[in-house]
Amino acid sequence: MSLSPKNPHVLFLAILFLAIILPWIPLGPSTNYLLRVLTTAVLYMMLALGLNIVPGFTGLLDLGYVGFYGIGAYTSGLLAIHYDLSLWVILPLAAANGALWGVLLGAPTLRLTGDYFAIVTFGFSELVVLLIRNELWLTRGPMGLPGIPPPSIFGYPLTQGWQYFYLALFLLLVVLVVVVRLENSRIGRAWFAIREDEIAAQCCGISLIRYKVMAFAASAAIGAMAGAFYAKWFRFIHPDMFKFWESILILCLIVFGGMGSIAGTMLGALILIPLTEVLRTALPQSMFNARYLIYGLLLVIMMRLRPEGLIPFQLSRSRKAEQAKARLLGSEE
Amino acid sequence: MGTLLKVMTLSKSFGGLQALKEITLKVAPEQIVGIIGPNGAGKTSLFNCLSCLYHPTGGEIEFDSIPLATPTSIASKKRVRIFAFIFLILGVLRLPLFWSFFLPQTFFKVELFLLGIFIFSIRFLLVRGLIRHEIWAWGLMFVFLLSDLCFAIIFLTHLNPSEDIVLTHVPLRYIAMPWGVAAGLFSFYFSGVLCTGKVRRLYGFRTSPDAVCRNGLARTFQNIRLFFNLSVLDNVMIGRHGRMHSGLGKTLFRTRFQKKEEASTEKEGLHFLRFVGLEDKAFDLADTLAYGEQRRLEIARALASEPKLLLLDEPAAGMNARESETLIQLVRKIQESGIAVLIIEHDMKVMMNLADYIYVFDYGILIAEGTSHEVRENQKVIDAYLGGDRGTC
Repeated sequence: MSLSPKNPHVLFLAILFLAIILPWIPLGPSTNYLLRVLTTAVLYMMLALGLNIVPGFTGLLDLGYVGFYGIGAYTSGLLAIHYDLSLWVILPLAAANGALWGVLLGAPTLRLTGDYFAIVTFGFSELVVLLIRNELWLTRGPMGLPGIPPPSIFGYPLTQGWQYFYLALFLLLVVLVVVVRLENSRIGRAWFAIREDEIAAQCCGISLIRYKVMAFAASAAIGAMAGAFYAKWFRFIHPDMFKFWESILILCLIVFGGMGSIAGTMLGALILIPLTEVLRTALPQSMFNARYLIYGLLLVIMMRLRPEGLIPFQLSRSRKAEQAKARLLGSEE
Repeated sequence: MGTLLKVMTLSKSFGGLQALKEITLKVAPEQIVGIIGPNGAGKTSLFNCLSCLYHPTGGEIEFDSIPLATPTSIASKKRVRIFAFIFLILGVLRLPLFWSFFLPQTFFKVELFLLGIFIFSIRFLLVRGLIRHEIWAWGLMFVFLLSDLCFAIIFLTHLNPSEDIVLTHVPLRYIAMPWGVAAGLFSFYFSGVLCTGKVRRLYGFRTSPDAVCRNGLARTFQNIRLFFNLSVLDNVMIGRHGRMHSGLGKTLFRTRFQKKEEASTEKEGLHFLRFVGLEDKAFDLADTLAYGEQRRLEIARALASEPKLLLLDEPAAGMNARESETLIQLVRKIQESGIAVLIIEHDMKVMMNLADYIYVFDYGILIAEGTSHEVRENQKVIDAYLGGDRGTC
């Protein structure tokens, strides 16, 4: 990023402003379609930010993230259908349910390291899908869960595309605030320390199991919240939506954007998710499924040219250090 | 004064290889103690035992008059497992004792009652065997007794709600249920505690490495273990982890306390960097530092946890004469600020300059100890380093 580190907020505010006025820019008949694509992109930005906590910050390969996404979506869907709760009740409940399962999965398995841990998380996501598919009394299984009532804010149900876009944007902001606060705190530093060197981290007084579980719970809560939004937005959920492929896709987003860097993860999602739609129109109908091929190609090229991702962790970290320098030396003068 | 660190007949073996054999040493507050010995003498193994990365197989470590580790013998571990297993099984089987009281028919009644008495007495003996203080054993048995009673009530009232046996008293059931469940859970927890060997005094334990650091024992590593992708200041701030208090809630809501703590930690981090002379590099990545600077950063990170004892593992390795001279001054400065230092070093110049007292290791055995002069003239030490006449050894 060649932007001046002195004013990190200017770029952010500019992008936010752009996003807010976006629905009102006349783009002809395709505005609604464009908004839908962008809402999807924002949803995936949320998911990527959540997943980033585990492999990016803490250095544990998590292949089962989509399990928490599914748990969040079904929690939201079932609560909305059976109890008709308000969105502002459903979102924290879904996040809490996700965090609970994160802790339950994390506490016993986080003693595993590396590949073994990845396999366990993979198993977990498969388990969630199997559970959803087979527990007909609860989830209606392969028939899916239709008829989720639309969210309403202050009594007004959301109907328009731009309203959902704004809701997604708001949730993304909340997630972003949470993640940034965690990153620049004692907890975030403990996560980084665990990623860099577990033994040295322990000898600095960091309890491994505690901070790993915390990372897992935070990541799961964010994933579940994104799932809750997804269910309310799409208004129909189905077990096939939460398959293993989704986990890999989200992992691709953060690898592409830069593992461990918040700006990178968001940029990765913002580029790769709309790319699917671009390819949908650019590729001929018969070659439509070749878009995954292009994804793969893109990642291979990326690994060759810039293996740390678009915005590498080191870069974002040294920029942060420069901000700290400006702040601290400024205060001493 | 007194002693800060006390190591008593410490042994550590990896399978057949005995890395440490009955090492006994002491460090007083504000003292610099050196450990020397040829390669493979077990010096780093000792450090790993002290920072609880290894669990010793024999002996005890006491730091600041708190025991850090006592050994677990494999036999006692096995015994605990067997005990816990039996305990758990009996916990399930104990119910007949009280069921039999309430059973309407005489069918099996006497047999069940006798079985119950038998189980009760075995459980009591087990508890007595595991717990030293009699009053606790009785207390525990009382808890179990009540839980048995409660389970029996729940069992009977739920099993036969229509048949009017004894207790269909509704309030009693509502008291019995939570108590029974709580006591039952406690019983399971107690078995779990036994399984994990947390009955410390009896079965040996090891403090977790992070708790060791928070208690005031910090260390550096022989092969540098920095957080290379983070800035120098971040490294030192991670070192201060155990001295900070803001948790998840305070972080998410970014309370005034948390902001203040962050700011003061940054300041303190800079202070520690100034102490080791790295202040101007504070905002560089740790990766970009020169070798000697990385060593000093490790020391700063360890100091940031405000230890009472600092373990330095070959701090002067790979340093030139000038760098090791600054290192000597740094260690002196650390000592003057009231921190004891235990130091492993091959560089004799550094050692003779610094150490108040020296221990010499060879093949995991303590072969000599004393002040630097005494050690220098000790025949065993000369033999260990230069190879002596093996016939005299």
